[in-house]
Amino acid sequence: MKKIFYLVFILPVVFSCTKEVKIDIPDYEEQIVVDGNIETGQPPFVILSRSKDIYAPTDLNSFLNGFISGAEVYVNDGTTTYQLDEVCSDELPPGFESFAAEIFGVPESEVSNYHLCAYTKLDGSIVGEVGKTYTLTVNFEGKTYTAETKIVNPTPLDSTYFKLANNATDKGFSYAQLTDPPGFGDSYFWEAKRINKNSDGQEKDSYFTPTYAPVFDDQFINDITFEFYFENPVRDPDLPSEYRGYFKVGDTVVIKFSKLDKDVYEYMDSKYIQLQSGGSPFSTPTNVKSNIKGGALGVWAGFSPSYDTIVCQP
Amino acid sequence: MKSVIVSLVFCFFLNVAFTQKDLSISGYIYDAKSGESIIGAKVFDDSLKVGAVTNTYGFYSFTLPPGLHNIIFNAFGLDPQNIEINLTKDTTININLSSTDLQLDEVQVNANKGEFIKSSQLGQIELEVEKIKTLPAFMGEVDIIKTIQLLPGVSSASEGGQGFYVRGGGPDQNLVLLDEATVYNASHLFGFFSVFNVDAIKSVNLIKGGMPANFGGRLSSVLEVNMNEGNNKSFHIKGGIGAIASRLTFEGPLKKDKGSFIVSARRTYIDAIMKVAISDTSPFFGTSYYFYDMNAKFNYKLGPKDKIFLSGYYGRDQFIYANKKDDFSVKMPWGNGIASARWNHVFNPKLFLNTSLTFTDYQFSFGSNQDEFQFKLQSGIRDYGAKMDFSYFPNNRHKIKYGANYTFHIYTPTNVSAKQDTIVFDTGEIQRILGHESGIYIMDEFAVNEKLLINAGLRYSMYQHTGPFKRFVKDDISNPDSVIQYNKGDLIKSYGGFEPRLSMRYLFKNYSSFKAGYSFNYQYVHLASISAVSLPTDIWYPTTDIAKPEQGFQISAGYFKELFKNKFEGSIEVYYKGLNNLVEFKDGAQPADNVSDNTDNLLTYGKGRSYGAEFFLKKISGNLTGWVGYTWAKTERIFAEINDGNPFPAKYDRRHDLSIVGSYKLNERWTFGAAFIFATGNTLTLPSSYYTQDGEVVFKFGSRNSTRMADYHRLDVSATWYCKTEKTIINPETGENITVKKKFKSNWSFGIYNIYNRANPYFLYVDNDGDLLKGDFKITVKQVTLFPIIPSVTWNFEF
Repeated sequence: MKKIFYLVFILPVVFSCTKEVKIDIPDYEEQIVVDGNIETGQPPFVILSRSKDIYAPTDLNSFLNGFISGAEVYVNDGTTTYQLDEVCSDELPPGFESFAAEIFGVPESEVSNYHLCAYTKLDGSIVGEVGKTYTLTVNFEGKTYTAETKIVNPTPLDSTYFKLANNATDKGFSYAQLTDPPGFGDSYFWEAKRINKNSDGQEKDSYFTPTYAPVFDDQFINDITFEFYFENPVRDPDLPSEYRGYFKVGDTVVIKFSKLDKDVYEYMDSKYIQLQSGGSPFSTPTNVKSNIKGGALGVWAGFSPSYDTIVCQP
Repeated sequence: MKSVIVSLVFCFFLNVAFTQKDLSISGYIYDAKSGESIIGAKVFDDSLKVGAVTNTYGFYSFTLPPGLHNIIFNAFGLDPQNIEINLTKDTTININLSSTDLQLDEVQVNANKGEFIKSSQLGQIELEVEKIKTLPAFMGEVDIIKTIQLLPGVSSASEGGQGFYVRGGGPDQNLVLLDEATVYNASHLFGFFSVFNVDAIKSVNLIKGGMPANFGGRLSSVLEVNMNEGNNKSFHIKGGIGAIASRLTFEGPLKKDKGSFIVSARRTYIDAIMKVAISDTSPFFGTSYYFYDMNAKFNYKLGPKDKIFLSGYYGRDQFIYANKKDDFSVKMPWGNGIASARWNHVFNPKLFLNTSLTFTDYQFSFGSNQDEFQFKLQSGIRDYGAKMDFSYFPNNRHKIKYGANYTFHIYTPTNVSAKQDTIVFDTGEIQRILGHESGIYIMDEFAVNEKLLINAGLRYSMYQHTGPFKRFVKDDISNPDSVIQYNKGDLIKSYGGFEPRLSMRYLFKNYSSFKAGYSFNYQYVHLASISAVSLPTDIWYPTTDIAKPEQGFQISAGYFKELFKNKFEGSIEVYYKGLNNLVEFKDGAQPADNVSDNTDNLLTYGKGRSYGAEFFLKKISGNLTGWVGYTWAKTERIFAEINDGNPFPAKYDRRHDLSIVGSYKLNERWTFGAAFIFATGNTLTLPSSYYTQDGEVVFKFGSRNSTRMADYHRLDVSATWYCKTEKTIINPETGENITVKKKFKSNWSFGIYNIYNRANPYFLYVDNDGDLLKGDFKITVKQVTLFPIIPSVTWNFEF
């Protein structure tokens, strides 16, 4: 709903011309950024980095050097506290390169050239459970940052199906029916990936991608059953432009439909509002909310997913 | 209703309270050619140097001792007239002033002589519409609000912006009146043009400091715009054909010397141009924009003591954006409908009454379709008002005004509906907010002696928020809580207070004066703006049980002087202004839904302060006229929930603002105009840092309005070429060549906007492009400029 409201702000710029300027933007302070999550059946996973001045260099080297190592990271599941292990890209056991490449977004061949660290617990001692609240504690450079998140009860979709787009014969969207539970405060997050194989035998998408406006809550839809649809979120460079945003007939799509707690929803909602408004001055400046206490940015997010598979046939 | 009755009783007793002593001279002053009443004309006794200035209806009244007097009647652009009179009783003199071919500027000097330093009013500027027409106009459309923005203490929102800011107040804090009816959104085309069609406008009066007690409901200024009444002698047509719009006006008598009418209409043809420019194969086919507006006014003299006026305005903007590629379209209509009915009654030479009934309707709508998703947002205001204003002239030392007013407001801040295919989303009920606003006032302009003039006024205003209304009580925005249902007629909350107003003038011998003033005002409506530039999407939100009325005070003082034998007027004014209960949207709030929420739950409240000094030098006679205005100012806002409660600059906080405006009459055929503007850049909030989350780049903004855009400056020039007004014909009787005036007059107006093509910032944004991991990622700050050099040509005619 909110995304539509933004579109009005693009409009007056019809006559305009644009040029790059260098202008003083005050108030920069470096902050620690937490990007952590825990989801049902998965271990906790935390990446730490630093925020950067808007005019800071943006090359790959500077980007990768923004990640932090050497922190102490703890997760408490309500009864036990676990210290997470620091796992760094230059000390990975063989076979983990592709996993690290995906997480840090580095070419697989480059992984071992950088000291990129994440914090996790791969021994299975702690994995996400529905109904539990998890507390994160990060100690770094003499400061402590904490956050809390809950893996809420999942609400699976009633059904999912594929429908051709208007006037199209070979492309369409993913549709779903959802029954929102009674009571306000349910929040949802939609991601998708295509699992049909490419000619090289690999699945088309190796990981889930959130859609353009992937989060919504039940302000408009509380306690009703309704249908909705989403586009194909994957920015696949191999896809001809007329197919961008569509699933093709023949695709097999897995939908990951997660429920979020309130703070994580607010983080997600503000993040996507900002991503969509793209720094436009026609909206109020929206800082992305954070559930981290102690002066850091970012999120500690609990996800409660359920999965559906759609075979795209008209 | 109760408040109205109280006010009327109050007014009645006041009438009885004053007794008559001297003999009065009163009446109306008209333009002999058109029969229109003249605002601001002067009447005075030549030897005693006492007199009066006509009011908005052309009425004057003052008193003189019995005996022989030489009375002079004088008005801008017209020849003065003398009348010898032996005063033995109260006398009514209605005068028709005509114009000859006297040098216009000489006459103007006479008419205006002394008013600038003599009046008790601070910060008041009257603009002559005929003068405005010779100044450079954006795209050839002469615009009174654009001209007002060239005055010291008044600034524009942004490039071409229509919202104007007076001494650090918001654009909603200006009371814009068209024939006494409130105009909520005085702009067309996203604010690039104003709703005032100059062909239909008679006078413009701006009060930016020390608002007199007869005005209320806004904190910063009053912009009084009066429409032409129409020629009551003969029928005339005038119009203009310009680059983007044309206009046509028809006026004439309803009954000669008794009543007249004027009808004026204007329409843009950007839509026709776009139709040609955008081919039907383009995905943007169907994108279009136009606006039109119409003004109409009728007046009729019922008798020597009674006159009625009916005025109306109706205007609509329509913006359509189509993008077939994304299956996306937007329709955005908005506009005002305004009407007023007024009755002037002269009880006796000393007592004048105007009674007005006003109606205002402002509607804004935004509808969009994307694929099968439809969204519509509507917002509007409807006002029904009534007021009575008495002017009482007991003697030459006192000019008393008193009156009462009442307005019933119906606000629809946002009404959202949405559906997808056949599924209609629950977007809540339409929320309407009903408000009753009323006020009573009395003011006296009291001449203590020849030097000291005091204008003291007191206004009491009230506002009641009444049911039906549904209040969603929030302790947290995202969680619906308890609901209080008020029924029809329930009094939900009542506000009110005294608004003292005081101004004084002390006259010095050397054609100069010192003036000082204090005013305190209440404002019962807020304009909540989500954007950095003023757009029709800004939401007018009234005072409610939780949104308190805005309050403001202003202290100002100034020194006014006539220079170089009254060829120049110069002034220095300083002011300090304090504002309270201002509103802003909370960080990240979007006025998109009404479900279990009220818009005022999304607002946050704060204070403002502004101070500055204004320097103004105006050349009022000779072939070269114009002014230089410079303002030094500082404007801050303090909101507990924004910027950690620290003061931050308002977005239109400008340290320096300079305007140089000139008009040069070369000869009877050519007049040239130029305007230069320099202003410190506006502030805005930009990201000061960035970080990555889940592979996405996320920005963190600097503190509110901490970034300042580049300075704004621009030079516009214009030239007006008047076609010959006379022709030579052969007298059939004598065979001689004689010169006669042409009935058909026309001129060509040429203009160049932004002649040195300065790329002024409209806004800045931070753009990120490329892929972080491929090494081609880049963050840049970009400046958007709206208008390059733009030439224009307009042909104006009249017959």
